[in-house]
This record gives sequence, C-alpha cells and structure tokens, in this order.
Amino acid sequence: MKVLVQTDHSIPNVTLYVFYRIGSRNEHPGTTGLSHFFEHMMFNGAKKYGPGELDKVMEANGGSNNAYTERDVTVYQDWFPRSAMPLIFDIEADRIRDLNFDPEKIKSERGVVASERRLRVDNDNAGTLDEQLWATAFVAHTYQWPVVGWMSDIEHWSMEDLKHHFEMGYSPGNATMVVAGDVTAEEIFQLCEKYIEPIPAHTPPPAVTTLEPEQLGERRLIVRKQSQLPLILIGYHIPSSNNPDFYSLNVLRTVLFHGESSRMYQRLVDKDQLALEVQSFAPQAFDPSLEEMYVQPKQGVDPAACEKALYEELERAKSSGITDLELEKAKNIRLVEFYNQMRTINGRANTIGTYEVFFGDYNKLFDAAKNYAAVTKEDVQGVAKKYFGPNNRTVATLIPETEEGAKP
Amino acid sequence: MRYHVSRFLMFVSACLAVPAIVSAQSIHLPRHEKVVMKNGMTVLLMEKHGVPMVSFSAILKSGATADPVGQEGLASITAGLLRKGTKTRTAQQFAADLDFIGGYFGADAGEESTSVSAEFLTKDLARGLDLYADAFQHPTFPQGEVDKLIAQAIDSAKGAKDAPDQVLAPYYNGYLFGAVSYGRPTGGDELSLKHIHREDVTKFYETYYAPGNIILAVAGEFNTAEMNKKLEEVFGTWTAKAIPAVAVAPASPVEGRRLLLVDKPDATQTYFAIGNIGTTANDPDRVAIRVVNTIFGGRFTSMLNEALRVESGLTYGVNSSFEPHKTPGAFGIYSFTKNATTVQAVDMALAILQKLHKDGVTPEQLASAKSYLKGQFPPSIETSSQLARRIAQNEFYGLDDSEVNQLEARIDAVTPELARHVIQKRFPLDSLVFVMIGKAAEIKPEVQKYAEKQDARAITEPGYWPHVTEKK
Repeated sequence: MKVLVQTDHSIPNVTLYVFYRIGSRNEHPGTTGLSHFFEHMMFNGAKKYGPGELDKVMEANGGSNNAYTERDVTVYQDWFPRSAMPLIFDIEADRIRDLNFDPEKIKSERGVVASERRLRVDNDNAGTLDEQLWATAFVAHTYQWPVVGWMSDIEHWSMEDLKHHFEMGYSPGNATMVVAGDVTAEEIFQLCEKYIEPIPAHTPPPAVTTLEPEQLGERRLIVRKQSQLPLILIGYHIPSSNNPDFYSLNVLRTVLFHGESSRMYQRLVDKDQLALEVQSFAPQAFDPSLEEMYVQPKQGVDPAACEKALYEELERAKSSGITDLELEKAKNIRLVEFYNQMRTINGRANTIGTYEVFFGDYNKLFDAAKNYAAVTKEDVQGVAKKYFGPNNRTVATLIPETEEGAKP
Repeated sequence: MRYHVSRFLMFVSACLAVPAIVSAQSIHLPRHEKVVMKNGMTVLLMEKHGVPMVSFSAILKSGATADPVGQEGLASITAGLLRKGTKTRTAQQFAADLDFIGGYFGADAGEESTSVSAEFLTKDLARGLDLYADAFQHPTFPQGEVDKLIAQAIDSAKGAKDAPDQVLAPYYNGYLFGAVSYGRPTGGDELSLKHIHREDVTKFYETYYAPGNIILAVAGEFNTAEMNKKLEEVFGTWTAKAIPAVAVAPASPVEGRRLLLVDKPDATQTYFAIGNIGTTANDPDRVAIRVVNTIFGGRFTSMLNEALRVESGLTYGVNSSFEPHKTPGAFGIYSFTKNATTVQAVDMALAILQKLHKDGVTPEQLASAKSYLKGQFPPSIETSSQLARRIAQNEFYGLDDSEVNQLEARIDAVTPELARHVIQKRFPLDSLVFVMIGKAAEIKPEVQKYAEKQDARAITEPGYWPHVTEKK
C-alpha cells in the first residue's frame, strides 16, 4: 500500500482517505452493485471491532466516517481529531485484514442498499435517466451497469460473491492511503508499519481488458415516467482521465458550461429561454468514459428544441473555436478551483489521492497549472471536433406521463 | 447526475445555528474587528492568511417573513435579481466580469434573513469588491430579467416535486406552522410566484436593502486597515434609512396529532417528517439540546439510525434536527422507507422518541456525543468563507465569540440532569405533526391510525399548504 502524507497544523484534525482500485468496473452480470454493497459491509464488523462497533468506537472518540463507490474505485474516508489517531489505524487494519461476513448483517444491509437505490434512482428522474444512458452508450465495457447495481442483483448476490470480492479487491497493494492534517509523515509511517504492513498481500483484481468499440451512429432512448417536467441527458464518448486531451476537454467544458457567462447558459437559459438548467460533467475514469450533458427544459418546451440549440453551440465551437478571452477565463476559473480544493485538509487528501489513483502520480497535481497554461485555442477546437460528433452520442429523454398516460 | 453512491447521506439538515462545541485543544476564533459605519452598516473583519482568497458574507436582516401574504418568494426573487442588471452592467456583463476572475457571487433569502455572499482571489479583490458592491447597491431589476427569473422559479417549483426528498421540508413547514412565522415557502410556490411583479421587487428592495439592516463579515487574506478603508469608500456612501419592523409571532407547539398525506402515485418509497415546534437559535439550553439531538438523531450511531437503518435495514437514512431561528423553528425526524414498511418505520421512530423520554440518555451516550461534537467541530471553521459566515450569524443572533471560544466548558457542563430537562422541554412526545409523501392508494389505510385530524392533497396540486388568504 502506498501512503501519502500532507502535514498541516492549522486545525487539530486529520483526514484519512483509502482509495481501493475496485468498483463496478470489476463486476459482471449477476453481481452488479457488489462493490457498493461491499463498501457497506466494510462497516459491519470485523474480528476486533464487531458489528456496529466500528462506528460506535469512532464516534465516541470524536471521529466520523463515510465511503463512496464509483465505477473505478471504492473510497473510505475518516475525519477525526488528532487524539483518535492510533485507534483509527487499528480500525482500518482490522477490517482490511479480518472482515467478517455476518449473514444477519448481510440481510439488513440489502434493505439499506435497496432503499438507497429507490432514493437515488427509482424515485429520482435524473437518476433513472442516467442509468439508462450509460446502459445504452456502452454495449461491451463494464461501465454499462449502475454503480448501485440492478435491483435483482442487489436481491440475489451470495456470501461467496462477497468473499470473492474481498479476496479480489482488498489486498493492501490495491489501495492508496492519503493522510492530511495535524500529523507528521514520520508518525504516520510508523503507524502504518505497525498496523498495515503485517497484512498479507494477495492477488489484485484481474485486468479489465474489454474496450468499448467505436460508436458508429447516434443512439436514442426514451423513458416514460410520471413527472412534472421532461429531462434530457446526452452522453459523448471521451477518453480516460490520463489521456493528454483531459486538460483541453476541461477547458472546453468550462467555456461551454461553467457559470452564467458560459455559452450554453447564455444560449439555452438566458437568450432562448428553453431550459432551466444546463450542466456537463465527466467522471474521473480509468477507461474511456462519457462526457454527460444535462438539460432541464422549461415547462412546455419541446426537448427537441433544447437539443437543437445545444448542438448548434457545439457546432459553433467546432467551426469557430473559442476566443482568447474565453481561454483566459477558463484558466482563471481552474486556478480558483485549485485553491478551493486545496484550502481544507479534506480537499487536499481527496485531491492528492485522485491524482495518484487516476493520473498515476500525485506529482501531476503540481503540473496541473502548467498543463492548463499549455492549452491553446486550437487544442480546444480540436477536442470539440474530435469527440462531439453526432455518431458518438447517446441521447436519453424523459417524457412526463400522467397517471392516465402520456401528456399531450 | 453526479452520482457517486455513498454510504450515507450527508444530511444538509440545519443544526442549531451556532453549534456550541469546541475541540479538546481549545479552538479559538481568529482575532477580528467590528466597525459600525456612520450609516449604520455593521462590518466584521477577520484576517486569515494562508490561502490567497477573500470571502464576503453579508446578512440582510429581512427574509421570507417579510414577504407579503400571497407573494411568497418575493425576498428570494429580489435576492436572485441583484446580479441581473445594475446601473453600470447588464446581467450578461455581470456574469462575464464575475466568471472572468473565477469569482463567486450568491444571494438567497432564508426564513428571516437574506444572505449575500461572494468570494474572490486576493489578487482580484478590487474587481471583485466592485462587482459585489454593484449588485448589492445598484440593481436596476430590468423587466425582462424579472420575467425570466420568475418563470424559471415557477418551473423549478414544479420540477422539485419530481424529487420528494426535495419538497418534504416545505410541505412539513407549511403544515406545521400554517400561516404563522415560518410556514410559508421561502422560495414561493407555483401560485405565489405568479403574483410577483417588478414593482413589488423594487419596493421590497427599497424598503429593506439599507446599510442599517446589514451585517457584512469579511474574512481571508487582506490587511484590516486597508480593507476597512476600501469598504468605507464603497459602502460608506450608502444612504441610511429606517427599516420597518417585521413582526414574527412566535409559533406555539401544535396540540394533539395531525397528519398530511401528499399523494405521489408513482412513489415506491414513503418520505416522512414527524415533529413539532422546536426552539430558538439563542435558547439558553442550546448546547444541551445539540448534545441530546446528536444522541437521538444527529449522527450515524444515533438512536434513530441504529434502529431504522443499522438494525432493521428499513431505510438508507434517518435524522432529526432543530431549525434555528429568532423565534421557535421546526423540530423534525426525517426519513424514508419502501411503501410496504411505512408503518413499521414510523412506529419504530415513535418508539425511539418514547424511549428517549422514558429512559433519557446513558452516561456512555453522553460522553460519546460530547467527544463526537468536539472532534468534528474544527473543520467547520477551517476556511475563510466558513469563518465569515459564522461571525456574521453570531452577530445576527446576538451571540458572541464565546459561542466558539467557551464551548468546551459549555459542552462539558451538560449533565444527565440537564439532558433530561431538555428532553422534557424541547423534544415532543404525544403532540405530533406528521407529513408523508407517498403512494396514497397503498399507505393511506394504514397511516390513518397516527392522527385524528387528517388532511390530504395531490403532489400535482400547486403549492404546499394553503396560506391564510386562500382559505375559505
């Protein structure tokens, strides 16, 4: 396990992140959502700290925790006062080494995860549509299923599946730990030598070798659902995060979507008044992923009109590029974003870990400013042309229905 | 759409405004100065070096309670329009100037105040301050921008009802408070927003936006003397005027039990709130209330979460919180569960509330909650924007630095007797208000048992709960 430490004595607190390189990307049909379910099980008892004890002991010592699962990674977070430090390492070591699988806990945790799925997906329009978008945009690669898993898989995976997942993903060597706050590197390394180093390594997860084949034509899907307003999500295939185009893509997204001066806001929300909200987002990803554009149409607006305006703006970026002023603006925005990420111990632990895990080296964090400075107008126009063509997109539209049927 | 699927929701629930907690290592607020300008504007200045940013956090002491009845959302629309055209900039120019320096500007109305905040890199301070002051002092409310924002707000109010977790609070507040104090929706609803016109906005602005009605806190990397001089130049010329008082009648706890069932026929999960009127932001027992609520429903190992989530798997999350205001705000238990387990989950939440009253809290729970609150406190005053917000709020609620600096002593002083006292006094027991959003056809027969007085409405029906003017 690689351990990174960043010292900051401004508050007497510490943030600890452990990034495991395993997520829904490493699953297969029948066990979708297992990484996320497993993340929940990591809080449900090990050898020394039994079911429920981890949270009780941590909170009683002033700490709190959370965790999240994505397509590529499962990440555990602890926030605690310096005084809780040896204890946190004891807890982390206990569950990495000796996680327990209590059948009763598995049963109740299935209910929790099903409730989480209902909250985030089934009773949430954007959640429902997002799931369908990825399932349609990817036909080969494992990014096609939802991180939370299909409901039938949530109900059916077995104890053996869970044990196998632990064997596969939770070797210390498959993880990176980042500690930021009121600590010294020496003390953290000593604690790691005592608590983490004795944990035996095991085989890391098998490589995910499937590559999504090139998309050869637009894909469209419709979700009909009782709802007040329609919704549109549009996904374009883009490369993995460590691709050199990453920085130009970020600049393009900033020019098109960041703030009320952005081209998409100005066109769709302000000038044409077609939409309430426009956004775009690309997750950090090990493998080629999606740039996902979100448009919330206004009441009574035909979603097709929103699409048309959005495509016209994309075409404009492709044919005429962006201006010097827009390029400078995007770089200024990125600089502020950097300070925002780095102003708290939590933000720093997260950012250092993200660069290490998704870009292969935390030092790339320090090159980010240089890499953005190097982006030219031509680079931005280049990525616009390269990735935002009609054949490369998947369009998901939610059409409102009443109880009786489709709205006129 | 930014889903990552996490272990539990970080509930954005309000806690007592100024949580009275301190770390064992004695966290202190950085030194800061208070200046009252000749025109009555209160300015708080706190230098915090290390990150080259400056944060502005202003509290205008008028909010949604100043909305005329039938025009709910006026304070919020007024705040939203500040940046949408000034004497020297169109909305588009303001956006371009702000985004060019990567700046942040935000303005929104809460129940009893309006927040106007901004943040800039120190190197862009002159341009940033110019933008901030321009929006604050010189908005022109162009007709076209007023129409646009109101149309958007109406659609957003509709769209919010597609996500029951987003609208549980306005339904609950509406049903709990009725027309008194905080019952009317701060952002307005599909009906009230239609009754807001440009002249209402300008009148609201002219009436309430005045220096004597503003607390402005600035924190970050700057020199206090220089900042003071700049603020004097920019805000010192703002003409003083008298502000009409907005009387907020304190809400009294509801007697007996009432239940509102909001029908959402496609819901697969019931979203519920249970509670009654809570307390004020400056309740003398606020520290003890915070400690007890941490034990009851304010953290992962709370009594509620242990029962409804950890032990039974009925829900992904449950919490309880007190809304802090100058007059008593809401207390509520909030959760959700699949249609078929609605009664099981609600029964369980009620049983936990009864247990709190019957058994009180154990010494172990008390010690754990104290330690938890102390340990989690320092990151809440880590950044300049957090600090600016906090000192502005202290000033607004008439609290002082001891809220932070003396808290260790105050939290340690919470005894089992004091805990018992606040449970009896501040946590409801028999008199309760229930709001449920769910599939009525499936859950209505079973949930009728909770209250003699029952009300029902469809989620598609505009608004949340009738205001006084619409009643027959």
